[in-house]
Amino acid sequence: MEYVKVTFPTRRLVYIDEEENGYTNEVLRVEAGTHVFELGTVANYRPGSRTVTVKDTTVLEPMEIAFFKKDES
Amino acid sequence: MTLARLAARAVMLGCTLLLAACASFTPSNPPLAKVQPDAGYRFERLERGDNTDELFVIVTFSGGGTRAAALAFGVLEALRDTTIECRGRRRALLDEVDVISSISGGSFPAAYYALRGEKTFEEFPKRFLYRPVQSDLTKLLFSPANWLKLAGASFGRSDLAAELYHREVFDGGTYADVVARNRRPFVILNATDMTTGTQFPFIQDQFDLMCSDLAGVPLARAAASSSAFPGGLTALTFQNYAGTCEYRQPAWVQRAAQDHALRVNPRRTASAENRLSLAAAGPARPYIHLSDGGVADNIGLRGPLAAITSTNNPWSVLRLMNEGKVEKLVVVVVNAATNPATGRDQTASVPGLVDTLTTAATVPLDNYSFDTLELLRATVNEFNEEARLVDGCRNLAARKGAQCALDIPAPRRVELYPVQVAFEYLGSADERAWFKNLPTSFELPRETIDKLRAVGRRLLNEDPEFQKLMKVLKGTPP
Repeated sequence: MEYVKVTFPTRRLVYIDEEENGYTNEVLRVEAGTHVFELGTVANYRPGSRTVTVKDTTVLEPMEIAFFKKDES
Repeated sequence: MTLARLAARAVMLGCTLLLAACASFTPSNPPLAKVQPDAGYRFERLERGDNTDELFVIVTFSGGGTRAAALAFGVLEALRDTTIECRGRRRALLDEVDVISSISGGSFPAAYYALRGEKTFEEFPKRFLYRPVQSDLTKLLFSPANWLKLAGASFGRSDLAAELYHREVFDGGTYADVVARNRRPFVILNATDMTTGTQFPFIQDQFDLMCSDLAGVPLARAAASSSAFPGGLTALTFQNYAGTCEYRQPAWVQRAAQDHALRVNPRRTASAENRLSLAAAGPARPYIHLSDGGVADNIGLRGPLAAITSTNNPWSVLRLMNEGKVEKLVVVVVNAATNPATGRDQTASVPGLVDTLTTAATVPLDNYSFDTLELLRATVNEFNEEARLVDGCRNLAARKGAQCALDIPAPRRVELYPVQVAFEYLGSADERAWFKNLPTSFELPRETIDKLRAVGRRLLNEDPEFQKLMKVLKGTPP
């Protein structure tokens, strides 16, 4: 089991491999391997998607996958 | 009758058999014009009704002929008679079962329950358990009327068995009837793809790969595939129409296949490659031959384990966990495995060919089942360990003083209850030996079947995890 935390300033739906999978800023469980992460509802975030190979994480050190608001640096 | 007339008849018979052998294959699975993700037998499409996701219950039924069917039926009866408190009201635990995954003999009660629901308890014993299925099959085999069919290259003993089950057990029921019932549990009958050696579940997601409509498949054919014990029965053939229905693989498949060189998760990669191979246009494999589900996994637990540990699954439980929908996950494994006594080691004689071949065929299956159960145990430990680790760190930090308290984000917590119903858990050595020496057959004496039904209920009731669950859910056991 691997662990990721998709970060975003507000609570948003997280899509992993095009499927709903919980919310931003929460620790989510995924299978090891390459996954595509996106956020739900409004496309006012960047990057549009992130393709990440998730491996070697622990529940105490989940992999952080950051998204930002489009107007933020 | 003159010699000439006899010879003429023999020639006629020969020609007829030859014609039969050349007869074209008639697929039992219809094509799908266009993939429809919002139609067909899919977990997410089934009406949940009063069944909550907070308490998610998976039941698996192993192979083992009528022995397995009777044990599984006994557990179904026990789940029906167990009441729990859920959302402030009492209800049968059976009404909380979300998924049933079955193999071989266990696929008969599973399929019947998918088709008939509550009526199963009234009808199934007469329709299947107490029926001399093995004798019926033998009679069919020796009937000259069936020799013509059997002479066909694409018609085997299992096709004959499927016809019998269709007529006598499932009363003509197809997956269209199961789709029309539209309610949980999601019942997954499993066979084995002979070429890839992988599990082949009878669900629309799998049939999408072949551009085929599962709704048109008789339940009898799924049960016959799931129970096509190698040697005794033949594999069943399904037509693969891949490439004709605008099918698009889920997004994860290409990524997982590309991970091949990275070796980051060979299991996920293999699963993706298997999907790609089945769906290869052409089709690359126009015919798919399905054998007993027990060849790939004799307890039907591998599919559920994948659903619990992967978000890339057609009925991913992990996804529901991430969404915070599941609070308690119960996995009831009903395993009718035996361990027949042998006098082999009482003599210096070299074991015979049959003994050796039987050992070679069954020992790997048993060892694999053992490992699958260990995988369940390891999965449960992983979830528990995760919670213990987070709690441990929080407690450790808190002990240093309130100013040191750590806010460690943790995944949604889920309580797991792995329940096991198996003869090996019988306390009495004599009783254990009796059940562990029952044969694998599609025909058992009525008293044996009744004992199996009763022992299934008792073993469920005696399981420590089940007792823990009953306590938590204020349950009244059967």
